[in-house]
This record gives sequence, structure tokens and C-alpha cells, in this order.
Amino acid sequence: MTTYAIQTENLVKTYGHGRSATHAINGLSLNVPEGSIYGLLGRNSAGKSTTIRMAMGLARPSSGTMRVFGLNPAVDPERVTVLNQVGFVPEDKALIGSSPRKIFELNRSFYPSTWSDSLARKLIARLELPLDKAWAALSLGNKTKAALICAIAQRSRLLILDEPTTGLDPVVLDELLRILVEDCTAPIANDQPRTILLSSHQLAEIEQIADHIGIMDRGRLLLEGPLDEIRARFLRVTVTGENLPRISPSILSVKREPHATQYVLQHNPELFLSDLRSQGATVAETMPLSLNEIFLELCRTHDHAEDTVDFGAAR
Amino acid sequence: MLPLHISASSGVPVYLQLEHQIKQAVASGLLQPGDPLPSTRRTAADLRINPNTVARAFQNLEREGVIRTVPGGGTFIASLNGLQSGLLKTEKLRRLRPIAEQLVVEASQLRVPSADLHKLLDAALIALENSRRTRTPESSGEDQ
Repeated sequence: MTTYAIQTENLVKTYGHGRSATHAINGLSLNVPEGSIYGLLGRNSAGKSTTIRMAMGLARPSSGTMRVFGLNPAVDPERVTVLNQVGFVPEDKALIGSSPRKIFELNRSFYPSTWSDSLARKLIARLELPLDKAWAALSLGNKTKAALICAIAQRSRLLILDEPTTGLDPVVLDELLRILVEDCTAPIANDQPRTILLSSHQLAEIEQIADHIGIMDRGRLLLEGPLDEIRARFLRVTVTGENLPRISPSILSVKREPHATQYVLQHNPELFLSDLRSQGATVAETMPLSLNEIFLELCRTHDHAEDTVDFGAAR
Repeated sequence: MLPLHISASSGVPVYLQLEHQIKQAVASGLLQPGDPLPSTRRTAADLRINPNTVARAFQNLEREGVIRTVPGGGTFIASLNGLQSGLLKTEKLRRLRPIAEQLVVEASQLRVPSADLHKLLDAALIALENSRRTRTPESSGEDQ
């Protein structure tokens, strides 16, 4: 039985009233399995941060449910139980304190049973964070590092990182990936699995360390599941032949060129290709898609499906 | 250190890349029977990849008899005579067929005649045999 660190059902978050209302989240059903590294992907204002804020009890759902470890983070006392088990890096990296050292001292007092000084020291050295520089004088990258160290040294059961790579240079980014795998996935107490949820635009990095992903657009989920399964479902193929199909549940997009037709398949590619072959078509080339390509294709197709009504949307 | 590297842009699933590279290291003699492998999490941290992905690759390799896990004692390269010899010949050929098909397609696209393709295959076999011979006398590589 899979248990979930975060689960939402038909989650809706609306800002404003009447005609000027904005649906930031519009019927989101998200499942973040315990023990996973889950990459939450989406364009700007897709609703990633709003979702994360509701998981942290910083915003209240308009309707639907948000559960973290089965608890409702919007109401006390459940909120306290949730927050005790979650390390959080907010999108704006805003922390309270005059220097990183003061911030760590404050944070440490909130989590006396789980906070690790030795881990904090290791992270400070690895990420090369100046400890006593005034907070206001820190670069964006250094603020991000401080926020990450705060959350990671807390050694929580769930780590929620909203855009954790903001301002980081490639060397520090690489070090962060190592830290996440090495120090944030091993069980601490009673073999309890630990979960990481991260939202990011750095698709290549997500593709490396995530095992589950969810792709959001306009407050809804376009795709969710184990990354390996998603990769196996998508395929770019070049086909030649007569009367090639235009519409099928397998097709995400079609591009006709003078000599051949290029499909992006999103479902059961092998079956689709064997059908084509049996109808006399020739499959000239098949290419797997990277996560970046899957993301671009999905967002483009989704745009298209919403803008024009007559196109036989594949969804 | 294992000579492993991951290419995220290749489109090949990461666990398959790992399986392939470990098999290759065994075939070339770089890894010898009895050599220890680093733990799943160590390997994942070194490569900056998901620990579950490494676990999946190790499980598959164990099922195929390439490596063996001693409960509580780590993971090791399995002995060669146990390796794959238990498989039926038809099963061995079934596993190789997709690679052969791919090779033939590439060759025909490059207009490489059949005789040259056979020569190429023979040369690759000899090269693998040679690298195995030069490595066998030395002691197995140390892992840090």
C-alpha cells in the first residue's frame, strides 16, 4: 500500500470575487507518495507555489481538500503536527534574523528533537555560506543557501522546496543535488521514509533526482506519475506511408512534412506503431523524449486545446 | 570509485544506463568477481540521481546474476561462471536481438556492406578479449 505525504482532492483556490475572480488552483488532485523525490513542474503562475502554501497552512483552500500525512494543515492543532514534520524553503527565501548564524540559532530552538548541528555545519561548509554577513547584504544565492540549510538541518520527514535553485551557481547546484540525495532521503527514525517535494524550472536537474513528477498548468495537473513510466509513454516517431491517422488517444501532436509525418505519442506507443506497420506504414525513426521536451509538448498542446475548439484535442 | 556516468539528455532511462555500464565494466574486466559495489545511497549521491533508481538497477542486475547481495554485508560482483550460463541460448539471443537490429539499421543507413559489418563485430570481440587479458593479472581495483 502506497501512503502519501501529500494528497489533494479537487483542490480549488480562488482569489477575488465575481467576475474578477482568479482561479489560482482549479480542481487539483495531487498525490505525493511517501519516500519519493517528487518534482512539481509548471510554468510561471501555474499554481505551484499556491499549492505549496496550502500544504504549509499559509493559505486556505476555497474548496476541496489538502492533506499532509493525512492531516489538515489549515486548522489547529493539526497544523502544528504538520509543521513539526516539514522542512520548508519558501519561494521568496525570506527569513527572520540579522545574519545566517542568528537565523540558524532561532530555527534550531523550534526543532529541539530533530535539528542537527553537525549537519548544519557540514552544509555551511559544503555550500560555502558566509555565516556572519548581514542578511540584507547577502546575495540572492546566499539567501537561498541559508533557507536550504535551515530546512535541511531540521531533518524533517517531509522537505518542501519551492524553487530551491534560485540564484545558485552550477557548482553549488551540483552540491545541493548531492546533499538532497545523501542527507535528505535516508530514514532517521523507525525506518520512516522521507519525502522531498520540489518545484523548479530546472528540468534537467529534476529529471536526474526525481522519481515522481507532476506537471501543472493553470491550476490543474496535466500529468503525474513515476518518471520512468512517463518516459516510457512518450515517444517521438517519424513515419512514412499513406493515409496516416490524425486522431488517436496515442497522439499528442502531429506534424506533417513533405516526406514524412512526425508524431509525438503520449500513450501506448508500441501498440500505435504496430497498428501503423500492419497498415503498411514505415516507421523511419523513434526517439525518446527528455523531460524538458515532454514538458514543452504538453504545455504547447494544452495551450492549443484551450485556445481553439475545433482541433481534435488528444486529451 | 565505479566508472559510472549518467547522461540525462540521452533519453535512455537512468537505471538502464547504470545496468549497461556495470555489465560493460564486468565484461571488460574492470570489475572482477568479488569486487564490492558502493551502497545504493552512496552511488546515488555520487551520481546525483534518485536512490530508488539505483536500487532498481541493482535489483535487475541481481536478477540477471551479474551482482549478488549479501544480507547486511553489501553488494558484490558475482562470479562469472554462475553468470548467465544458466540462461537458455534462446533467451540469450532474445536479449541481444534488439541491439543487433539497431546495429543493422545504422549500418544500412551508412551503406556499410555486410562483410565490413562482420569485420567490425570481430574486431570489437577481439578488443574486448584483449582488454580482459591485460586486466586479469592485476589485482582488482580498490574502491574508496
